[in-house]
Amino acid sequence: MEPVLLGNIEIEIREVELLKILGSMGRAESWKGKGIEEKIERVLDRASNLIEPRGIYVITEGRKLGGTDIFNSLEKMAFSVCTIGERLEKEVGLLSRQDSILEAVLLDSAGSVAAEEVANYIENKIAEIATGEGKKISPRASPGYGEWKIANQRNLFELLPADRIGVTLASSMMMSPRKSISFAIHISETPVRLRGKNFLEKL
Amino acid sequence: MRQFYEECKQAVIKGDSDLAQRLATEAIDKKEPILDVIENGFVKGIEEVGRLWEDGAFFLPELVMGAEAIKKALSLLNPVLAEQQKRNFGKGKLVIGTVEGDIHDIGKTLVSTMLSANGFEVYDLGFDVGVDIFIEEASKRGVNCIATSALLTTTMQKQRKIVEALKERGIRKKFRVIVGGAPCSRRWADEIGADGYAKDAVAAVKLIGELIGGS
Repeated sequence: MEPVLLGNIEIEIREVELLKILGSMGRAESWKGKGIEEKIERVLDRASNLIEPRGIYVITEGRKLGGTDIFNSLEKMAFSVCTIGERLEKEVGLLSRQDSILEAVLLDSAGSVAAEEVANYIENKIAEIATGEGKKISPRASPGYGEWKIANQRNLFELLPADRIGVTLASSMMMSPRKSISFAIHISETPVRLRGKNFLEKL
Repeated sequence: MRQFYEECKQAVIKGDSDLAQRLATEAIDKKEPILDVIENGFVKGIEEVGRLWEDGAFFLPELVMGAEAIKKALSLLNPVLAEQQKRNFGKGKLVIGTVEGDIHDIGKTLVSTMLSANGFEVYDLGFDVGVDIFIEEASKRGVNCIATSALLTTTMQKQRKIVEALKERGIRKKFRVIVGGAPCSRRWADEIGADGYAKDAVAAVKLIGELIGGS
């Protein structure tokens, strides 16, 4: 199939996820009443206005990914790149330079939550397609984790014209904008693990 | 005085920048011994914030708020201290930056903020900083430490290059080199011959304090 472009993806940056990423889980609630709640509320609004969620994915055979043979045995895979755009990270940079570190940290974290939400959205799309075919999907896996070497990020970008959603790749294999996620998913009646020590074992 | 020092300490623990500034102004107006106010008041506060973070009682925004509060106080107190004692309150000087090819910034900025809050003189070189820039700036600023951040397995190799370049130039012993960032570890620091590894901003303050504190 041809790569599918998804623009103007609607996502919600959930407060609970932001608190989680900031490390609130399992901690005392000593932070309440210090004005942090209001700051978080404001940052969620601000982040929602700055993000430009978009993505691209393709469903193809695992062997179509060049540079590696680790997915060659997998008949059907989805490869994707998604992003929240660069406006939010520019604002974070501006806040850092103004020494507004708390605002910068909160906004950057909200950006990370948003990027995950965009990836979740695309994952759900792929799950719908799989379900329509009577299949299931594996959890997402990204280059640089486990067997999938970070150098193969380049091959993923050869497979997907990510520049069409404004994402480019540096020689260090770092994506720009920073808040971008690349990943693969296995689609099958019996999907396998794409990362971890039980790589390619049935889920 | 003990009560006043306690108020200064609590202002930092609460992350109350306005209160920290008011107390700093009060100390200056009343001609209190500034170094004592810093060391027995505000610094005790940021040390407690660090401890609460390590114990899991504080989360990230509280850590940053504490750092911002003491930085506000120090920005008022340091010029007065410089006048009184011909010196700033300081524990040592360092340069910090994210290595070349890596544009991750916020984690490094957070470490930089915590170091400043704890009395270090920090020259933040930003991100995508070349090996030569690290070394030139460290030499020019007369610092004792080069703190390097890398967030990718590809870019962390630049941390090795920094250590190698210092050796090649015969100036390795002039600087302590520390590494940080998601893919780094104590083992990585040992492998490349760095002087230490810090897993987060609070650990970096401790490590750098041990390595260059008092210098």
